Amino acid sequence: MKADVLFTPLRELGGLLKTRKLLPVELTELYLDRLERLGPRYNAVVTVMREHALSQARRAEGEIAAGRYRGPLQGIPYGAKDLLATAGAPTTWGAAPYKDQRFDVDATVIRKLEEAGAVLVAKLAMIELAGGMGYRQPTASFTGPCINPWDANAWTGGSSSGSGAAVAAGLVPFAIGSETWGSILSPAGYCGLAGLRPTYGRVSRHGAMAICWTLDKLGPVAQTADDCGLVLDAMAGRDPRDPTASDRPYRYDAADRTGFRFGVITNVTDGCEDAVAENFARSLGVLRKMGTVEEVTLPDLPYEQITRTILQVEAASAFEDLIESGGIAGLTAPEDRYTPYARDAILAKDYVKAMRLRGVMAREIDRVLSRFDALVAPGRINEAPVLGQEFRSAIRATAKDVMGAVGNGAGLPAVCVPNGFGARALPTSIQFMGRAWEENTILAAARAYQSLTDWHTRHPKLG
Amino acid sequence: MSEPAKPDPETDALFEIVRQRYGDRLTPEQLDELSRIVYAQVEAARALRSMRLTNADEPVQPFAPYRAEP
Repeated sequence: MKADVLFTPLRELGGLLKTRKLLPVELTELYLDRLERLGPRYNAVVTVMREHALSQARRAEGEIAAGRYRGPLQGIPYGAKDLLATAGAPTTWGAAPYKDQRFDVDATVIRKLEEAGAVLVAKLAMIELAGGMGYRQPTASFTGPCINPWDANAWTGGSSSGSGAAVAAGLVPFAIGSETWGSILSPAGYCGLAGLRPTYGRVSRHGAMAICWTLDKLGPVAQTADDCGLVLDAMAGRDPRDPTASDRPYRYDAADRTGFRFGVITNVTDGCEDAVAENFARSLGVLRKMGTVEEVTLPDLPYEQITRTILQVEAASAFEDLIESGGIAGLTAPEDRYTPYARDAILAKDYVKAMRLRGVMAREIDRVLSRFDALVAPGRINEAPVLGQEFRSAIRATAKDVMGAVGNGAGLPAVCVPNGFGARALPTSIQFMGRAWEENTILAAARAYQSLTDWHTRHPKLG
Repeated sequence: MSEPAKPDPETDALFEIVRQRYGDRLTPEQLDELSRIVYAQVEAARALRSMRLTNADEPVQPFAPYRAEP
């Protein structure tokens, strides 16, 4: 088995498997070996599912040999953020108080990926309770800080930290993450990957740990925008076990298109590191080859306060027992052990006001987006933060992130892809955010961008 | 995290809820930090309250009546 299939795009990898030039068991063995050997280097893995994975791989191999083709993910290994319930393995939510927790069911996403023939090889590390307690430094996980494969002194971002590290280090071809505010785009952006935050309701949350019932989304982290589309195709769809999962059908459309209309929010790079702003300006030059780029001003609304208030209140309610019992003292990050207590002081009326303003925000941003295929912006304001230091976050009001506040508050899809490197030679990224249910539009834009650039073909030196 | 430049009665009143409920678990330094967080929450709430809405502006998440199917 050659290691040169690492970082092969999923469509190509699926083709090799379908034509039996590559076999699911040997591919799975390759990744299991890497997970066991290299996973600890990055603190990326909670549980390697060797027996489970080989069983699924053998089934995929038999089905392909028998001509029963399930689709482009059949026989492809993947990892899941450890907030997705999986029967037969612990589901730790990244938090010491839950490190022995087990469920006897699979999350709907796990089940759907199994139906698509994908092979679950590992449960991946994450920030404890997906960051819902207000963490402010990378060590907020009982498995330790996730280390960025591009730089051993840099963090991966979070909260889907292991999903970013594992894909960037070639430990899995793709991974599933979750986003409440930034938890997919952050590790994807910091690790030089593609990350897709689907529209709220596009993917069932059944079996996923809840932080915020009205904000949580599940989505893929992978090498390319096309990879993300292929994975979303398998994940999406209605689910009677999640009433917020939409009945709207979804099929990934990989057809190329041209003539995009992009919007850029005025002063969107304010607060960004210089290299992030410079790379974004260069990216706009690429986008102008794909269509038009127009500056746009958003209506004056307290976007960050709306989304932050909803997040803080819902997360405090979701973990009310842990907080009020004092069980948060068992969490890893010192700040997670007491700062959630402050949320008792947010008034119910202010939460409802945020939810009412959210409707205004959703209508206003849709009116703006109706003129564009996507709003574009830097995926992150900086390169990956340094390990051992506090980082800035809009969730704690120590940074600005209007795109994240609007996108998550209004439940809009966004995809980020790499667009260069910063002063510390770490990846920077660009994000494309679209109207609700327009994943195919933003994926088409991101694919077109990647067809004109080669940032996604660069990988860290792994040793 | 922003800090109040002068005494802020609303922050003080809301922080007192936190102190009453959890004060026995917290160090003076932690209580001081929680006071600053409560102030930031009050500032966010003030930004929300400053926005005028109409009676027709409902919360976005609809409630659905439940009835078990036979």
